Formats: sequence, structure tokens, C-alpha cells
Amino acid sequence: MFVILTYDVGEKRVNKVRKKLKEYLIWTQNSVFEGEITEGKLKKCLYEVNKILNKQEDSLYIYEIKASSHIKKKIIGIDKSFDDIFL
Amino acid sequence: MSRDFYIFSNGRLKRKDNTIYFIDCLENKRTLPVEQINCIHLFGEIDLNSKLINYLSQYGIMLSFYNYYGYYSGTYYPRKKNVSGFTVVNQANHYNDYEKRLYIAKSFVDSAVHHILKNMRRHKEGIEDLIERIQAERKNIEKVQRIDELMGIEGRIRKSYYKSFNKILKSDFGIEKRKKRPPTDPVNAMISFGNSLMYTTVLSEIYKTQLDPTISFLHEPSVKRFSLGLDISEIFKPLVVDTIIFSLVNNRVITFDDFDIDEGICYLNEKGRKKFISEYERKLGTTIKHRKLKRKVSYRMFIRLECYKLIKHFIGDEEYKPLKAWW
Repeated sequence: MFVILTYDVGEKRVNKVRKKLKEYLIWTQNSVFEGEITEGKLKKCLYEVNKILNKQEDSLYIYEIKASSHIKKKIIGIDKSFDDIFL
Repeated sequence: MSRDFYIFSNGRLKRKDNTIYFIDCLENKRTLPVEQINCIHLFGEIDLNSKLINYLSQYGIMLSFYNYYGYYSGTYYPRKKNVSGFTVVNQANHYNDYEKRLYIAKSFVDSAVHHILKNMRRHKEGIEDLIERIQAERKNIEKVQRIDELMGIEGRIRKSYYKSFNKILKSDFGIEKRKKRPPTDPVNAMISFGNSLMYTTVLSEIYKTQLDPTISFLHEPSVKRFSLGLDISEIFKPLVVDTIIFSLVNNRVITFDDFDIDEGICYLNEKGRKKFISEYERKLGTTIKHRKLKRKVSYRMFIRLECYKLIKHFIGDEEYKPLKAWW
């Protein structure tokens, strides 16, 4: 499954959240992550992020796409192609 | 969901923020999400330290190294987590008993030949005689009593098979004779490169199972190599690597510009390797509905299923029937 994660987190926690998400997904833009992930791993990831978040102030949006073949991604401007398998 | 990463640039691979960073020589940073990595293939000149290796081992990620010409030079293989003495003892028993060993070896060759014929029938104009010759040769597999005879049959089949490449491949690509060390023409170079990719993929799938990669059946097990990887890749080489070569050449994706020839050694250059690998990854990700499991299974998963079938055979659960592509 494919997910897009966006977050709006207090300044103190923003780095912690970003670092945690980096272990699981691909960083696309400030406060945006995306990538292919299994349901189990997503659960594990969200559990870990949950421990960092302050529920009163922060928010994290998760967009799940079950069939990744349905995604059409278009880019305007610079394509940073962070999900390339070649480095 | 894990996938392979291929590093062609020079730079440094390091552990940072509990994940993997790659910093290339121009100081561009990129993070590789550690939970997504299956295997990292290093084609460039990469610096790394033991901290990284320790971290990769925790996640069971393998590092494969390739030399300047793109030949496989080795793999960093983390401590195996899925071990089972029971399976290994039984696997070794199947090697020691010549009858049992022969059965497995025959299965591998028969499956390989099945896939070879499948490839040839798809492009059968002008190679009918070669197909017939292979079919006749295939009948001998049943009767064979010794492994070296089996290897001989396999060698003769391969020879006819490679001869048919000249007819199957359109444009100016052709092959005179299979030459391994070193390959001298583009087709040989592609076969060698593809086979080494296949070998690493099979190895990384064996790693996820309880099998011991050093005890093999068709190839003679020996020191310093994981010969079970060679055995199992035999099945998948015609199914994956050769079809990629046909499609790359016949769709004119790959051209002579993608090869470098240096003192008689022919190898894929960086552009060519990237084309080949993208096609290879695409192929391994393609899914087919499995008849028994009743769900879609990728080519990569088929390799793992082959390992599971072998385990079942070793522990006396179910007789091993090699994969014979039905699609």
C-alpha cells in the first residue's frame, strides 16, 4: 500500500518526528513523507510517532492508497526524485 | 515492500538518525529508509564503516559489491537469524544420499530446460530444429544416473539455446559462443551481468529462509561459495534474465552505446547497467496469480517459494516439484 503522511508539529518535536519517519518512508518535502509500506510496518511506525506527538497541539494526516497502481504523481517545478532506486 | 537500492555514484554510506544516509562526492545527502531496504548494491566507490555494518546486520540487510566492470565480487551477509539445525541436517542428508541428490539436481535442470523451451517457442521462427534438438536431449534427463552426465546434458542444451539467440535477437546483436571470463561481446556481457544479479537476488531470498546456502545439489558444494544460490538461479535465469535481454534488444532499448569495449573485454557501462537494472527490477516486481496460493505472487516471491518447497522436501513434508512457469 502507498501512503502520504503530512504533519504539523510543534517546533520542539518536529525534528524528532521527521527523523522517525525517515526510517520508514521517503521524505518528499517539508512535513511531507510518502512511500510504499506494508500495513504492519505503518502501524509500527505510527505507534512510534505517536509517542513523540503532543495530541493537544500536533496533527498528523495519513492518506492511504490501497492500490498503488492508482496513483498518478505529477510534478511542477523541480523533480527531486527521492524515490529513485539509483543513487 | 522492501526493495533494492543501487548506488552508482561515489560517496559515503553512513548510519545517521537511526537510518541510512548516502552522501555523494558533491555532498548531496539522501536518506534511505532502513525499514524499506532489502539489499544495497554498490557499483561506485563507497566509503563505509563498521557502525553501518552493525546497523545493517540488525535489520538483516545485505550489501553486494560489484567491481569496476560490474562483475559481482561479493556480499556482506549478516549473521543469519533464521536458523534451524533440523532443516540443515536434513538438507545435508539429501546431499549425502546420491539418489536423493540426483532427484533434486534433475528437478533443477528439468525446470531450467522447461523455461528455456518456453523462451524459444515464443520466438520460434527459424529455430525449430534447435527446439527439437533440445526436446530430444531433454528426454535423457530422466535416464541419467550421474550428476556429471546431467551437467553434460545441460551444457549441450545451453549450447543449442545460445545458438538460437542469433535468430531471436533482432538488429545487429548476436552471440558466437558463450564466453564468461571475460565476456567479449554485448550479449555475453548482458548474460553475465544478468546472471550475477540473479545470483545475488537468489542469495538474498535464501537468506530469509532456513536453508544453508553452501549445501547444493547440482553444483558441487565447495568452500568459499554459496553454491545453492547457483542451483536455484539455474531455474530463474532463463525465466527472468534471458527474457529481459530479448525485450531490451528487440525493443531497441539497449544499443551499442550502452557497452564499453576495453582490450577485448566487453561490459555494460553505467547507462546500460541502469537500463538493465530498471528492467530487472520491473520484472521481479511483476505478479502472477499463483494457482495453489490463489493470490498474486511476484517473481521475487517465486524464488522464495522455491526455497520453501525445498525445505518441505528436506523435512519429508511434501515432494519437491520445481517451478514450471505455466503462464
